[in-house]
Amino acid sequence: MVTEAALSVDFAVILLSATLAGFVAKQTGQPTIIAYILAGIVIGPAVPGLFEIGELTELLSDLGLAFLLFLLGIKMRLDDIQHILSPIVKIALPQMAAVFLVGMGVALALPPFGLLEAFLIGLAVMYSSTAVVIKMLNDKDEATSLHGKIDVGVLLVQDIVVVIILAVLAAGRPDDLAQVATTLVVVLVLVALITVAAIVASRTALPVIFRRIADNKEVFFLVSISWAFLFVFVSANIDLFLAPLGITAYLSIEMGAFLAGLAIAQLPYSKELQDRVNPLTDLFIMVFFVSVALDLEASQLFAHTTEAIIAALVLIPAKFLIFFYLLDWQGFGSETTFLGSITMIQVSEFGIIVAAAGVQGGFIEPEVLGFMTLLAIFTMAVSVYFIEFSHQLFERFEPTITRVTSSGTFEGGKQEYQDHAVIVGYDDVTKNALPLLDEHYDDVVVIDRTVDHIEALEEEGYDAIYGDSRNTTIRKNAAIKKAAFVLSSSVEPAVNKALLRDAGESTTVFAEAERVEHARDLYDSGAHCVIMTPYFAADRFAAYLRAYLEEEPVLEEAIDEDIELLESPEPFPNTYERLGGGLDD
Amino acid sequence: MNGLEVVSMTDLLTAVSLMFIVMGPLLLIANRFDLPTVPFFVLAGLPLGFVIDLDLTLELAQYGIALLVFSFGIGIDVSAVRTVIVDSEIAALGQILVVGTLGALLGIAFGVAPTEALFLGVAAALSSTIVGTALLNSRPNNNFVRDRLSRSIHFVQDLLAVLFLLLLAAGTIAPGPLATVVGYGVALLVAAILINQYLFDLIGRLAGDSSELMILGVVSLLVLFVGAAELAGISIAVGAFAAGLAVRHDPVEYLGLFNGLKSIEDFFVAIFFVTIGALVTVPFIELGWIPSVEKLVLAGGLVLLTAVVKPAVTTAILIYQGYEARSATLTSLNTDQVSEFALIIAIEALLLGYLTQNVFDVIIFAAAVTMVTSSLTQRYDEQLYRALAERGLVDSRHGKVDDWSTAPAEMSGHVIIVGYGRQGQRLVETCEELGQPYVVIENDPARRETVTDQCAAVVVGDAMERYTWEKANVEEARIIVSTAASDVVSRRILSFEFDTDVTLRANSRTTAMELLDAGALYVTHPKILAGQRLVQQIQALIDGDLTPAELREEQQSELDTLAEHLPPHLR
Repeated sequence: MVTEAALSVDFAVILLSATLAGFVAKQTGQPTIIAYILAGIVIGPAVPGLFEIGELTELLSDLGLAFLLFLLGIKMRLDDIQHILSPIVKIALPQMAAVFLVGMGVALALPPFGLLEAFLIGLAVMYSSTAVVIKMLNDKDEATSLHGKIDVGVLLVQDIVVVIILAVLAAGRPDDLAQVATTLVVVLVLVALITVAAIVASRTALPVIFRRIADNKEVFFLVSISWAFLFVFVSANIDLFLAPLGITAYLSIEMGAFLAGLAIAQLPYSKELQDRVNPLTDLFIMVFFVSVALDLEASQLFAHTTEAIIAALVLIPAKFLIFFYLLDWQGFGSETTFLGSITMIQVSEFGIIVAAAGVQGGFIEPEVLGFMTLLAIFTMAVSVYFIEFSHQLFERFEPTITRVTSSGTFEGGKQEYQDHAVIVGYDDVTKNALPLLDEHYDDVVVIDRTVDHIEALEEEGYDAIYGDSRNTTIRKNAAIKKAAFVLSSSVEPAVNKALLRDAGESTTVFAEAERVEHARDLYDSGAHCVIMTPYFAADRFAAYLRAYLEEEPVLEEAIDEDIELLESPEPFPNTYERLGGGLDD
Repeated sequence: MNGLEVVSMTDLLTAVSLMFIVMGPLLLIANRFDLPTVPFFVLAGLPLGFVIDLDLTLELAQYGIALLVFSFGIGIDVSAVRTVIVDSEIAALGQILVVGTLGALLGIAFGVAPTEALFLGVAAALSSTIVGTALLNSRPNNNFVRDRLSRSIHFVQDLLAVLFLLLLAAGTIAPGPLATVVGYGVALLVAAILINQYLFDLIGRLAGDSSELMILGVVSLLVLFVGAAELAGISIAVGAFAAGLAVRHDPVEYLGLFNGLKSIEDFFVAIFFVTIGALVTVPFIELGWIPSVEKLVLAGGLVLLTAVVKPAVTTAILIYQGYEARSATLTSLNTDQVSEFALIIAIEALLLGYLTQNVFDVIIFAAAVTMVTSSLTQRYDEQLYRALAERGLVDSRHGKVDDWSTAPAEMSGHVIIVGYGRQGQRLVETCEELGQPYVVIENDPARRETVTDQCAAVVVGDAMERYTWEKANVEEARIIVSTAASDVVSRRILSFEFDTDVTLRANSRTTAMELLDAGALYVTHPKILAGQRLVQQIQALIDGDLTPAELREEQQSELDTLAEHLPPHLR
């Protein structure tokens, strides 16, 4: 018999303190990640014994990382990253080796650490923080920029390496090198297999399934999540599946989530999904950041404070320089090189996890874990400011940076819309305007939530974005701000006002409304023309009735014209020249 | 954090993963056959009950409950509350008393303890907002009388459900404890209203343009309210409802917030419904034959009561209220399912020990079944109504039509206008300007007074019924102008084959063509008309005849003229 589950206090405390800290950070211009980590330190080690971390908190924290990687996967269109795969590998591997050496060297130079500790510290500092980098890139909307893609690619290579190292550490002290090698091969094969499965699915089953469900918001969202959990589950339990074959292997749930997202990213519906997954990720990843420092004791966390600060001061510039050199070597432009490097200067949360596995495996003491935690927190905190102001820094130091970099030629930027027309919602009203707009503007982008419409539009050569215009990503993708003309068929004031907020100063905006007060409101917010279908139709209908009653001959002509229009083939009436409306003349 | 966590899942994560993995394929089936999702969540839960430890997921499920009620609270439209309360529609809630009593009696007849039978009554009486409104919203045009009626019936039932959840905490009908819980409930509501008035916009300002912080802030509010409810010893659902009221806001400014909350809600609510399914004791597998059959028979009784008796009672009450038979029947067919609120009440009662596993299972089964049957009765509602009407099972009560109509008996050469909305009103104006006699046919009793006041001749009745047309003296009319947006009504009007010109309104090009072929003189398709106008305006801009600023000025002054001519209810 189940009993009533009281809601956990720990989650409530984490949520409330993070919210409080988040709002304070917002007011003082600090990034929210810092607020979350600090909140964790305050309610954790600083006030020991406040509460125990329950299962729910652990779950949400795990889900935070998994969803973050899933979200990242959704954004990765293979066509977009194919051309940078090779430079990514060429950057990631030397980078890890170099940072490993620097990290181990620093640790050896510091008195408390012996050789084994230094070796493990070296292994733990090689990675940059997926959580920080991706969160910041998402917040700044740069995840799909060239430097964003490079960073994400490098992070994924690092993720594969960390999984391997964790697998080795989890097995305890390895007997010999052969065992390490076997683990390595098994993990690589598994990652390759799951990647292939994901890609095959994205070419075969997924397009059929998602086409069916795309028009049902709730089912679409939940089936996507279900797909993600399938990969998470398989990755996490891969050892169980492989046990009968006599193979021991581990994969991280993050890896599974990423690959699940990758499969969906290749479908035309992925943008819509980004905005649906984002809020859940934000909520869960908050729990992750708060709990980074949460379950350490103060004495462990602060055992080697000075050492952690020294290590951070060495590692931050070292990481930056190593990345900078490697990106430049691979021929990226000076701005990409700078932005790509400055983003990656922190020590990852995986460093903490590697250290924790080291403690578990009996390699190091909890104090070293405390040192790693502090180092990660400190470098993350510093890096967040660098990332936040990376563009300003680049502008400030541009002459110097250009002087030291070789001239990069690597292309990778995406083409952007400018002075185009955007149609929000394809329906019987807006479709009439399509050919006219197409004639006048270079690009016409249509946002719509119906799969059939999108397919028909693409067939006709229009740019179509599948998604709901309530979502920021969708509106950003259509580049509303730079559009010359926006035509919305939505009658929802909320959607239209969001469009008007996004629109640039020289954008002409047409919107629809059902009520007079809404129309007034839209004009006040800057709309140029508000179409009120029911009122307009009522006027027209009344005019026809008047013509009928007064037996005007013009009525028949008007009726014939309307009927001809009705008969014109869907969905693209090329008849706008004839759309006179007989009674107006 | 221990190192092994990365490589091995926690039990809870495994449980949640399994829930979603099992749910996925079932949702595909639901989508394929256009059925509501809730029964499929429950179905996904049934096998999971054997493998997952429910103590783990129960807390997540509680958040699901909280978010479900929370979003109901957010969605409440205060002005709608006022119209429902002044409207005679509230009397339609008499069905709750009738059906509730029958439900309780059914339980007692089956030997269920009276306290538990009460819950059966509640389950039978309350209808589902999720299923009901989802089905309503799936229709292109949902401003019909029956849609408005179903909405307000669902709305009042949901409010009653929250009240019931509040009272449940007292665990007794003694006035003392009841007064205490009501006191707590009122305190939460007052706090919510104060926060909504004074604090919410402040949170919005402080969050600036960050949807992330706004969502955190609002989820924190929810957790605070839920925590307060828990401290006070009342249902967390009541706390969540109050939190929803505190956050209730026009979505215009906080689009990101409300979109984000929807994702979070969908996630946790899915877990809640699956957990419900997992809590069920599966008959024949976990139970012997005899108790299984008993349970299914009782569930069958509840289904019968909800899916057959409830709509019958509701229809009868609505017809008695003066609604014509078709609206009444179609409305009732939107309320023939067990509510998700009944599920919340059931799980809370189970956890509090007021409900035995047996009755809990019965309620869940009945809910799952009726949610499916309800979506079917809605899909075929017109056909069902026709079938009932032809067998004389629903009475059309011409007496009311006679009482309410003001059309003179011997009219001729007149225009018959169907519907008194925006279009109907313009048409009436036109006729009056031209001195042309006309009759308005309107079927919404709520509009009766307005129509009778403003129009010279009115028939208050359903355009689907021949009798209504006889009252309007159709054989002598000059033209029929229907503004009804329902394709069913349009087809029906043509099928009478009156010897009069007919113009109709259609929602799609295909229907418009079909109606023209079937003999209509003209069919308006508002969107095509608006499209014509739009093209002219864009062309003017492109040709440089107008600047955007000039267009804007012209349009605004047109709007002002329009607004002056409109009666307030149509603005």
